Amino acid sequence: MNTGKRRIGVFICHCGGNISDYVDVARVAEAVAEEPGVVVSKNHMFTCSDSAQQEMIDDIREQKLDGLVIASCSPKLHMFTFRGMAERGGINQYQYVHVNLREQCSWAHTNDKTGATEKGIALVRAGIAKAALSTPLTALRVDTTPKVLVIGAGISGLRAALALSDMGLSVFVVENQKEAGGAVKNWGRMGPDNQLGRDIVRKLLDEVNTRENIMLYTDAEMVEKSGYIGDFKVTLRIGGNETVNLQVGAMIVATGFDPYEPKEGEFGYGLDGVVTLPQFRDAADGQEGPLEYNGKPVKNVVFIYCVGSRQKKSAACPAPNAYCSRYCCNAGTHMALCLEDRPGDLNQYHLYRDIRTYGHNETIYEEARNRGAVFMKYADDDAPTVEKTADGLVVKVKDQLLGGEEVEIPADLVILVTGMVPRKNETLMNLLKLPVSKDGFLNEIHIKLRPVETVIDGVFIAGSAQSPKTMAESVGSALAAVSKAGGLLMKGYVDLEPLVAKVNTDKCQWCDACLKACPYGAIERTSCDGKEVALVIQSLCKGEGACVPVCPYGAIDVEGYTDEQITAMIDACSREVVSA
Amino acid sequence: MSDKNNLDYDVMVVGAGTAGMEASLSLGDMGYKVLLVEKQPSIGGRTILLSKVFPTLDCASCISTPKMASSAHHPNITLMTYSEVDGITKNADGSFHVNLHKKPTYVDQVTCTGCGQCATACTVPLPDEYNYNMIARRAAHIPFPQAVPKKAVISRGGQAPCMHTCPAGVKPSGFVSLVRAGKYEEGFKLHLADAPLVGSLSRACYAPCEGECTRDEMEGSVNIRAIKRFMVDWYYERHPEPDYGPVENQLDTKVAVIGSGPGGLTAAFHLAKQGHQVTVFEAEAHAGGMLRHGMPAYRMPNELLDRDIKNITALGVEIRTNTRVESIASLKEQGFDAVFTGVGNQNPRIIPITGNNLADVTDCMKFLKETNVGDELPDIEGKDFVVLGGGNVAFDVARAAVRMGTKSVSIVCLEAKDKMPAHGFEVREAEEEGVRLYTGVSSKRIFKGDSGKSILEVLNVASIEFDDKGRTTGFTTAEGTEQQIPADVVVMAVGLSPSTLPFENELELNGNKTIKTDDQTLQTSDPMVFAGGDAVLGPSIICEAMGQGRKAAFYIDRFLKKEPLDVPFDSDLEVADKKAIVACSGKCSCIKPTAIREHEPKKRIQSFEPYEETMTEDEARASANRCLGCGECSQCQECVNACPANCINFNMKTDRMEMTVGSVIVSTGYEILDPAGKELMGYGKYPNVISGPQMDRLLAPTRPYNGVLRPSDGKEPESIAIVLCNGSRDHTVCNPLCCRIGCMYSAKHAQLVMGALPLADVTIYYIDIRAFGKGYDEFYEQSKGMGVQYTKGKVARIEEIEGGNLRVHYEDMEGEGGIQTAEHDMVVLTVGFLPNLESLKLYKGGEVETDPFAYIREPDATAQPGRTNIAGLFAAGTVIGARDIPDTVLHACASSAQAAGYIEKLRKA
Repeated sequence: MNTGKRRIGVFICHCGGNISDYVDVARVAEAVAEEPGVVVSKNHMFTCSDSAQQEMIDDIREQKLDGLVIASCSPKLHMFTFRGMAERGGINQYQYVHVNLREQCSWAHTNDKTGATEKGIALVRAGIAKAALSTPLTALRVDTTPKVLVIGAGISGLRAALALSDMGLSVFVVENQKEAGGAVKNWGRMGPDNQLGRDIVRKLLDEVNTRENIMLYTDAEMVEKSGYIGDFKVTLRIGGNETVNLQVGAMIVATGFDPYEPKEGEFGYGLDGVVTLPQFRDAADGQEGPLEYNGKPVKNVVFIYCVGSRQKKSAACPAPNAYCSRYCCNAGTHMALCLEDRPGDLNQYHLYRDIRTYGHNETIYEEARNRGAVFMKYADDDAPTVEKTADGLVVKVKDQLLGGEEVEIPADLVILVTGMVPRKNETLMNLLKLPVSKDGFLNEIHIKLRPVETVIDGVFIAGSAQSPKTMAESVGSALAAVSKAGGLLMKGYVDLEPLVAKVNTDKCQWCDACLKACPYGAIERTSCDGKEVALVIQSLCKGEGACVPVCPYGAIDVEGYTDEQITAMIDACSREVVSA
Repeated sequence: MSDKNNLDYDVMVVGAGTAGMEASLSLGDMGYKVLLVEKQPSIGGRTILLSKVFPTLDCASCISTPKMASSAHHPNITLMTYSEVDGITKNADGSFHVNLHKKPTYVDQVTCTGCGQCATACTVPLPDEYNYNMIARRAAHIPFPQAVPKKAVISRGGQAPCMHTCPAGVKPSGFVSLVRAGKYEEGFKLHLADAPLVGSLSRACYAPCEGECTRDEMEGSVNIRAIKRFMVDWYYERHPEPDYGPVENQLDTKVAVIGSGPGGLTAAFHLAKQGHQVTVFEAEAHAGGMLRHGMPAYRMPNELLDRDIKNITALGVEIRTNTRVESIASLKEQGFDAVFTGVGNQNPRIIPITGNNLADVTDCMKFLKETNVGDELPDIEGKDFVVLGGGNVAFDVARAAVRMGTKSVSIVCLEAKDKMPAHGFEVREAEEEGVRLYTGVSSKRIFKGDSGKSILEVLNVASIEFDDKGRTTGFTTAEGTEQQIPADVVVMAVGLSPSTLPFENELELNGNKTIKTDDQTLQTSDPMVFAGGDAVLGPSIICEAMGQGRKAAFYIDRFLKKEPLDVPFDSDLEVADKKAIVACSGKCSCIKPTAIREHEPKKRIQSFEPYEETMTEDEARASANRCLGCGECSQCQECVNACPANCINFNMKTDRMEMTVGSVIVSTGYEILDPAGKELMGYGKYPNVISGPQMDRLLAPTRPYNGVLRPSDGKEPESIAIVLCNGSRDHTVCNPLCCRIGCMYSAKHAQLVMGALPLADVTIYYIDIRAFGKGYDEFYEQSKGMGVQYTKGKVARIEEIEGGNLRVHYEDMEGEGGIQTAEHDMVVLTVGFLPNLESLKLYKGGEVETDPFAYIREPDATAQPGRTNIAGLFAAGTVIGARDIPDTVLHACASSAQAAGYIEKLRKA
């Protein structure tokens, strides 16, 4: 190992205390200062801060560093931050090594400071060993196609399409239903501003139809997808048989949600007179005059909130929806106003756990109360029951605001305020390989830093496919996805990670083991100097490395993670740490 | 790409918090040129000040710093920090015209390295807004460790009134803050740099600064002169000689200074500091002018003046005493390149009185000179002594006479007692010393009484007229009101006139014989001659004369260097607003000015010893501590001395500019409700009731106390109450809205507190827990799982009990019911959001519509998030209503997409 000539800088982050409260960062810096090749070893309160970055850049320049190790948080958070800094300082960004000293060390060992410090030293040593063998790499620059595929023609998808079109990008919208418009297309009066859902959709569709650069495919689905960020190739099947091949630079997934469908018997669901809010909204749409249900006048209506949301695990509910569905309190209280607007002497009872009419929606809740809707809080672990008696439906609830006293409400109608659940769409998910979060909704990379981006580069998510959202929030996130897709495509090119597999053609004997192992179809057979060898298509390779261990000839390495580097890292981190 | 519409930038984003940075980065990535304007010195908004963020518990720095760094380094983003938008209007083509200005930071932002040495050296503490005022920061400061740009800024709130008023250009706020910091030598040197006769001013200055002191509006002004006196005495005791010599860069230019009074000496000092060869000509045997000859030793000891003068002569200034300059021409012959004349105002006026041969009648200057520098004191022992005149000089004469064994001393003047030109304290002290006052009378005659004694007969003044400067212009007497005053000696102190006679033919004079000068430059009719002091002003006070000397020296220097004279001399910073300072000093404890110890009148008149005592060190520092720091930066110059990169520049000015942009995104954020308005909750009254944002600071990595400690006694709290919805969902403060974040950040506080203080109990009092976002309800469940006590109930009031603990009165809704109380060590009030009303003032081309709560309205929130009623003007983040970070980020991205669409349309049009 020739590390004598390297000039490596090591910077250990306190992360405010996230790391330094458990790892003796000064000791780590000291312990690694004498590692081969290390010429700078320092601590910073926040390595990510601009000032610390500037100081590190100064060190890179003054010390003529050719390798950089920063031990801080997860690379998910700051790898790109430091790569950018390395480039600004004048080192190739791939000669920078990120050591995760927070998630993988300090946070994991809060009960053992000595041990955490020793592990920290070992991890940083491994990082140094890797940096010492790093080589400059060049990103693969590929041209991008200025076209976007929007999957789902609900309000999010349609609005995204218009915004992309505004920005001069061509758009294909694919909708698997026969009619575009998504969930909202059939809805009537909506909160908070009493617009009709169908009007909103109609306006969007009318506008979409005027745009030359938007192509809308209904009754269509994506059946094939290949390519990579900036240059995807997709095949759509339309109407069951016709297919269309498209080339796009990015995709926005706006596939929406499904309303929660209560189980038989859940809060009386299945009994006559027990309906979900979406069902009721459809049934009541367009009705005027005093409220009726199945032709009978309704005097008492009971709303039960949190149906299908904030569920606890139990025998009856083995896979609970632990999340809050966000929109339902707003929808329920808005419905209260819609009902109050109707003539007749209606009694409304709203049984809730917490009313989550956040922000400006609070005014709707307040108005509902002021206009006579009665709100009763039930305990998390003591839900109301709905029973059918000879006299009709009876709802029993222990009202927390009356000291837990049980109240019986004879109800003509029970409305279950149901939440949203992730939409089932297996074909699409299999094609896109998008990860979902614990709650089953599509997962972003980071809810604050990269909220509409996914781990599949070039594929963005929008609307309630990501998590329950109101209409305005769905549209907002759709436009956010548009801005990120625009950021990707308006430049005209994209730089791809060069951390990809490379074949040593001298060693390769072409046995196709690598081709079989690669899940991305990034290996092809080719001939080189008259012999058959494997070829890596760099733009498709994700650097996953499945090909490396299966190669019987040891002919494949992944750039940035070479066998030599990994071995050196293992050696470095398995050396004993001398206790202070 | 911004050329078609002559745009300077495609988009201007106003406010560089989470929303502004996100919108800028989105647009920058799309290739648009973005101008990002932030009024604070650092970007990052409020997010960077947080501890961690829910529900992931990432540290706020981790969330903010990458965006801050990217915003600063993005090739398409131009950052303008510490800058404000004055107005936006729309152009006919749909683009926008913007007026904005960059505020002076007083630190060169290019050369500042962010080392922070200025902050370490700075002597002025100010409430640290970045720690929600829990601790102090310095006037010279870097906002916080992660600031972008990490450059120092000096807070200046105008000129301190003391400094603004000082005619000599001394910086009282500066040396007072240096004395407060124990930096006496630095304080002395700061003063010396502006006015070299530090000792003289510390004794004889009438201290107009104290009259303007803001604290005078409260319990009494800061004893600025007494503090100075302590500082001078401290310094002179340790430095009997100046510790410097002539400046290194000596020039060939020769300047003559006529007269060695305060004006002349000051001019000589400043000219010598510039390297000019200065000679001072003094007709008398001793240098000092009025300081020497006009002021009795009990006020102005000769030794102190001698030491002061060394400050000037150490620079190589030659003082030729006993040398009267007869003409300007003679100086020109001697090769002087410029002249400063400060000949003063020492020609006494004599008024004719019938019988003035019947007593020993003399003039005040002759009397004082004999008293101060004569070989022997005037022989007035046992005599009845009368002074005519009501000015300060009259009192100097009378009080000197009291000290020479006179039988009686009387002051006779035309003015009523409250109209006397002399300072009030002079009158009071003179009376204490036994001086009799005959005010509102006019001398009629002197005659010999029956016993052969000389008697001054006076008549009451019937009416008197004053000019606009308070000087008497005419009077009438009332016959039959004669009074007789025994008068062996009569000294006339009824005015002095300028000693300008020798130059009558060479320089243009005013009607009153003062020298005519240019108001700005003090240049006379002879371009090489400048004049100042009493010879120009007429009778004035010493600091005025010094100020003129300093100002003349500035222009003489420019004259000699052949630089244009039409440059301003004074700083243009406006004087600080006293009313505002008094208003926000309401919480200052009442501390009376330190009483100056002085000798009993009986002891005073025994000798010419100074009768005031110098303050002790403790007294001086305690007195200095009363300074309210009106101008924020005190001008103590410590930062200038400390800065290794030489980048402090107090001459920096506001930089105004105009530009054209294609679109505007307003992302100016929100205000935090001040819980002091909720009086029953005790915020601002009980130290251990803090606000939610303050709690965040206590938990942040850059936390002020390095731990969660309660403010009253620094104890680690064992039981913490978090009270939700203070000023949210709350009609008592006219804010019915929900703040959207309080429930979640309180859950975060609870979890972090439990991490920081494992033994502490945390109770959250709530109405509803609104954990509605992705992963939020799980986060709430996690809090409950960690043992946070959630109590549904509205807190009605909080009272302090023994030991600083707090009793919380609340309605227990889920538990036993009824009104309950609970005790806690510390209470955190989770506070609401308020709209930032500033954001509504940006657009001048019409009215930006708002909702009923004064947030910017989105006319079609559902389909057009981010759009306002003004096409092309978009809103991002919390300007349209409270929201958390993820929702802010999404909304900002949405606004950026809207702005991009608008610009594309603009380009096509």
